[in-house]
Amino acid sequence: MKKEDDFVKEFIKHLFPRVVLRRNLKLSYTFCLGGLAFTAFLLLILTGALLIFHYQPSADRAFASILYIENQVPGGWYIRNLHRLASNIFLVLIFLHTLRVLLTGAFRKPRELNWVIGFGLLCLALFEGYTGYLLPLDQLALWATQTGMNLLATLPFGELLRNFLVPDDIGQPLSLVRFYVLHIAVLPLCMLILCSLHFYRIRKDKGVLPYL
Amino acid sequence: MAKIARSRRRFLTAIALLGGLGALWRFLVPGRKVRRQTLLEVQKNTIPLRGALVFKRSRVAVIRGEDDVYALSLVCTHLGCTVNVTAENLICPCHGSVFDRAGNVIKGPAERPLPRLTVEERGNKLVVLI
Repeated sequence: MKKEDDFVKEFIKHLFPRVVLRRNLKLSYTFCLGGLAFTAFLLLILTGALLIFHYQPSADRAFASILYIENQVPGGWYIRNLHRLASNIFLVLIFLHTLRVLLTGAFRKPRELNWVIGFGLLCLALFEGYTGYLLPLDQLALWATQTGMNLLATLPFGELLRNFLVPDDIGQPLSLVRFYVLHIAVLPLCMLILCSLHFYRIRKDKGVLPYL
Repeated sequence: MAKIARSRRRFLTAIALLGGLGALWRFLVPGRKVRRQTLLEVQKNTIPLRGALVFKRSRVAVIRGEDDVYALSLVCTHLGCTVNVTAENLICPCHGSVFDRAGNVIKGPAERPLPRLTVEERGNKLVVLI
């Protein structure tokens, strides 16, 4: 346990360089897009952790529990909408971050591994947003997921994936629980691990840019 | 170097933490009482005997029977059109569902009766809650 504590502590300590030159802190290097996206991600974890206490992932209670959060829980509407809006902002920021990396050629050697990790994070974030979209189980959620699953089925091996995600039917208990588990546990954990790798690689590839 | 007193900063942090904890507690333990919103208020004596006041905008009819007053939602239980109130019954203009004055289905395609809304007496006013 001691060792892991040290690992996390050292990891956080080494996220930032010990010394930076003032002229290298120009905003236009990165526009802080990645950092802002990560901040949105932290906000999503925080609000999501609060919402878990009230949301009920069963087909007949899901929508009612959303209404309960919106109308009965003090501040519930605020937390829920913060979660919803932050998820939109999160995706926008990630896309802008990708665009910035693309336009400045930051994906080139020696940072191609980090580009691949970042692309993985982009895909995971999209999937995370998609699984979260079903959870309120209103009409919008139901039909959007229906459309998405039909799209997925047209891909090679898409039918297999579809059968894994939706064993019964969309909006039925089993598929809702699968989406729920993916949304609150599996995908966020994968994203956190990939994020750590992403940040580790940024620091590891220092020497490429003055501010690293 | 002069020693900086941080007691004010610590105090403010403590206040913020306490407030945050209080808010968290309120969020996690919302209480049993159902909070309801007032949909509309009606003067009691404006409702005619065996008649009804129709509020098209709020989609509610306040109906006085022989000796009771109740509020009926005018949202058709079939597909959500606003039901028209006639002298004898309530008719949906979209697909022709017919309900009696108590809200029960006389003729489909609607299958469920029109829901009743809670009515509360406050002095000489009636308040319809949602």
